[in-house]
Amino acid sequence: MTRDLHDEARQLLALGKDASEAEQRWLREHLGECATCRDYAEAARRAIAAVRSVPLAADSRLVRATQMRVRFHARRLRETRERMWLVGIACLGVGLSAVPSALFLWRVFSWMGTWAGLSRPVWQASFVMFCIAPVLVVSAILLARGTHLTSGDEPWK
Amino acid sequence: MLGATHYFVNSMESETKAIARGLRQRDPDLLDRLIEQYQHRLLRYLVYLSGNRELAEDLFQETWIRVLERGHQYDGNHEFSTWLYAVARNLTIDYLRKKHPVSLDGLMEDEDHAPLEPADTRLLAVEVMEQQEEAERIRAAMVGIPAEYRETVVLRFQDELALQEIAAITGVKLGTVKSRLYRGLKMLTSRLEGLQR
Repeated sequence: MTRDLHDEARQLLALGKDASEAEQRWLREHLGECATCRDYAEAARRAIAAVRSVPLAADSRLVRATQMRVRFHARRLRETRERMWLVGIACLGVGLSAVPSALFLWRVFSWMGTWAGLSRPVWQASFVMFCIAPVLVVSAILLARGTHLTSGDEPWK
Repeated sequence: MLGATHYFVNSMESETKAIARGLRQRDPDLLDRLIEQYQHRLLRYLVYLSGNRELAEDLFQETWIRVLERGHQYDGNHEFSTWLYAVARNLTIDYLRKKHPVSLDGLMEDEDHAPLEPADTRLLAVEVMEQQEEAERIRAAMVGIPAEYRETVVLRFQDELALQEIAAITGVKLGTVKSRLYRGLKMLTSRLEGLQR
């Protein structure tokens, strides 16, 4: 089944300059012969002109308010980034200091285990518990109250 | 001639790269300039997309906040306006989905709001009235078109974007853009002619 020629002409009209040279030539010929499509082409041209003629503009108040909001938000993001940088440095410091601390504590637990007559697996398990206890407590608290990561969406405006 | 074209393409590329660099650095002066440069085009697109001037103004602000936050995602290899429209479009759809669980296809105008207002208020009262009537007539015709067709018509005939750019913004194939353009123009023409009679 062949496509309707009038529909094809109207599709090419919608494409305008994006239609190929051959298509545009065919369209010109078709419009020369078909009064209905010629009328449609004129109506479409008027419709496009009408859409383009609508004087819709942003007012200066909106532009200024947006610029201020964007500047304010940019400053807040910068401050947050700076804070995160400090948190990162602190984490690095804690991580680095944890290594000698862990070695020292390992020796302390070893000495206490020997002194108390505990077997090796017992004082080693105690050492592990001692290390992970703070993490477990903090995790439990965060789970109980919900973390800031899962709190509700930012209000729309 | 070829040299001039080459120069034009190169200068356009360097401009988009400069925008990408500025967005990565969250340069507030660049954002001020972009807001001014794209104010009318972006607002017009949002008004037609959302069908509501007030909502469009909110979305306008939110779009620039999102541009600030996600500016690093713009690579500078494409037109900035294409990326900006895509950001605005996604934001509008997200908002409308949150508010009403409908797709863009089902989005229709809130009849209580008049989205199209004359830009210049320093005209004679009669001219203002005529302009408002004309704008209202076009608004009524535009509003009667389903949102996805309306969007394509606006991007094509108001902002004069290329078909490929529209495809990139709307996230559909080129064939779909052509089809939407054809149907949208057909509907708009018939509505405008119908309203005129």
